[in-house]
Amino acid sequence: MIIRSASLQTMPKPRVVIIKAPKFQFQPGVAQDSLMDRMLSLAMTKFTGKADPRDAWARFFNPKSVVGAKLNCLAGKWLSTSLPLAYAVAQGLKSVGVKEGNIIFWERMNSELKEAGYPLNYEGPGLRCFATDTNGVGYDSDLTVSGEVGSRVSRVLSSYVTHHINLPLVKDHTIPGLSAGMKNFYGAIHNPNKYHDNHCDPYVADVYSLPPIKSKNVLTILDATRIQYNFGPAYKAQWVENYNALIVGTDPVALDSVALKILEDIRRQKSMPTLEKAGRPVKYLATAADSSHRLGEYRLTKIEVIEAEVI
Amino acid sequence: MFESSRREFLKRAAGGLGGLALTQVPFSERSLLSWLGNACAFAAVPNLSRVEARYYQKLEHLEVECRICPRKCRVGDRERGYCGTRENRDGTYYTLVYGKPCSLAIDPIEKKPFFHYMPGSTAFSFATAGCNMNCKYCQNWDISQVRPEQTENLDLPPRALVKLAREKGAPIIASTYSEPIVFYEYVCDTAREGRRQGLRNVMITAGYIQPEPLAELCKVLDAVKVDLKAFTEKFYKEVVHGELSPVLETLKGLKRAGVWHEIVYLVVPTLNDQEGDLKAMCQWIMKELGPDVPLHFSRFTPMYLLKNLPPTPVSTLEKAHQIAKGAGLNYVYIGNVPGNPYEHTYCPNCDKILIGRMGYTILQNYIRKGKCQFCGHPIPGVWK
Repeated sequence: MIIRSASLQTMPKPRVVIIKAPKFQFQPGVAQDSLMDRMLSLAMTKFTGKADPRDAWARFFNPKSVVGAKLNCLAGKWLSTSLPLAYAVAQGLKSVGVKEGNIIFWERMNSELKEAGYPLNYEGPGLRCFATDTNGVGYDSDLTVSGEVGSRVSRVLSSYVTHHINLPLVKDHTIPGLSAGMKNFYGAIHNPNKYHDNHCDPYVADVYSLPPIKSKNVLTILDATRIQYNFGPAYKAQWVENYNALIVGTDPVALDSVALKILEDIRRQKSMPTLEKAGRPVKYLATAADSSHRLGEYRLTKIEVIEAEVI
Repeated sequence: MFESSRREFLKRAAGGLGGLALTQVPFSERSLLSWLGNACAFAAVPNLSRVEARYYQKLEHLEVECRICPRKCRVGDRERGYCGTRENRDGTYYTLVYGKPCSLAIDPIEKKPFFHYMPGSTAFSFATAGCNMNCKYCQNWDISQVRPEQTENLDLPPRALVKLAREKGAPIIASTYSEPIVFYEYVCDTAREGRRQGLRNVMITAGYIQPEPLAELCKVLDAVKVDLKAFTEKFYKEVVHGELSPVLETLKGLKRAGVWHEIVYLVVPTLNDQEGDLKAMCQWIMKELGPDVPLHFSRFTPMYLLKNLPPTPVSTLEKAHQIAKGAGLNYVYIGNVPGNPYEHTYCPNCDKILIGRMGYTILQNYIRKGKCQFCGHPIPGVWK
């Protein structure tokens, strides 16, 4: 008789939801956009299968949650996580009772937040927005080790928050090939410069495996309204595609795999070589899925992709 | 549900700005400032420098390639190299640490260690954040393996540093602690200014540098201590994230340039203490550098990411010493073991103790005009 453990039985495919809004127009400095609000609500309901967005948010958060949301503001006002997305996330969290003061949008450096147009607020009323380099925040004094990585983790993530939402962009990156969800957490450690060898492999997977990241990051929302499809991660206007989408999921590997597919599709449409042929193969995805990391699913055929559109 | 306006969002988010201070104080400011004493005019500042780096190549699409070290980082716009101290901004590469030391101290020259260079002298020592390697046992990792915005930096440009060194009565300026190669421009200009004002300049380094910047540096340095981490590429790749062959080229380059140099080899149990590797290294030193290069075998202490190994047994260090002497090297030392007889300098001719040491303290010195006081044998080094 063959006895199968539950884990060997058919597992549901990880789900990734792509919501497009062809009419969405990104504009720096605009903090709220009703189209973005609708995109995110639809993404959350599609992802969770709940009819009411409030129920969708309630699957992840409760009124006692202290929620961090890591932005990606390296590339300035034209290519950072958009303010309307941050705003929509805040509204979603508030809808399930999370207090404004318990919602923290954050980055590595305050200068990056300011350049991207985010108003800083460490301890005043309202939504909070500050970086790890704020006086008194900083990184853990102790190192956390994961595989080849030994880093101090931002105290925003390790000490301030109970739950975390990752709010990155989708970009070509001249070293790992792809900068999307998992790579965004390079901005959560004190020494990211040490982990770019070998196309960031296995480091992207090792960084994501750091316990404060892996245990607290419950949701990823990729801001794919603009995609830097060549020579990122800095902003290069000539290679930005207005993709006008959000990509939502909880499996970090599946999300990045879908993002990679989208990035490669755009490059192909533009008659550009694949990232591998361009000399930057995306190696970290297979590593993230391997038996020593088990962070998620990287095979597209094993991922359930749901697409919808907001008119 | 989502009816708030942009104005409301901005207003609410900006609510607490008034009380927000953006300075960074992660490390002990007070200790540094109190040490500086009268030099407190050099107030601690959180900012970084933005001085154009030397030895880099501009590439297409705002990329640059750093040419300081063999890593040759290709760095995109708004990104930094492996060292974390150099940043590409709009296609120009900048050093962020020029004139921004995070560590200052006056040390005995023996602490570096230099045993054949100005014994008993003091060295005004400085370092910035950053390193172009990542040794798993780094003892200064809290400054070497961090980015410069994470350290407490003083504003101390070369001329001010030299002035301070002179005020403190130190005849030597030492770039040390982290990795001077990553604050190359600061080292060069400080050494040039120091020499102009009659001070000497030494550097303590892992030697992972390109030949061209090294040659430039040799014009202003008086002595270099090189940490030879191991004698296998495997160790360099896996334990310190570097390469052996460029370091060997650095040692040969120092010899060619006539810059006094000493070698430290930290013996890490099970990782670089194999007899065959030690023999091969000593033979290489004999062949390429000669028998008179001081070689220091230092004791490893568990540190940073390598805490699962014990301290090096003294017997292992003594075995290494024996191997080096057997290979024909004249000046072999054991470090980090205070009281060990191989802390002393012995005359290779009459075998008498010439410089007796206890830790960093000189107990006696019988070298006169560069020769053994007892038998007249010349002793290589820089003695005054």
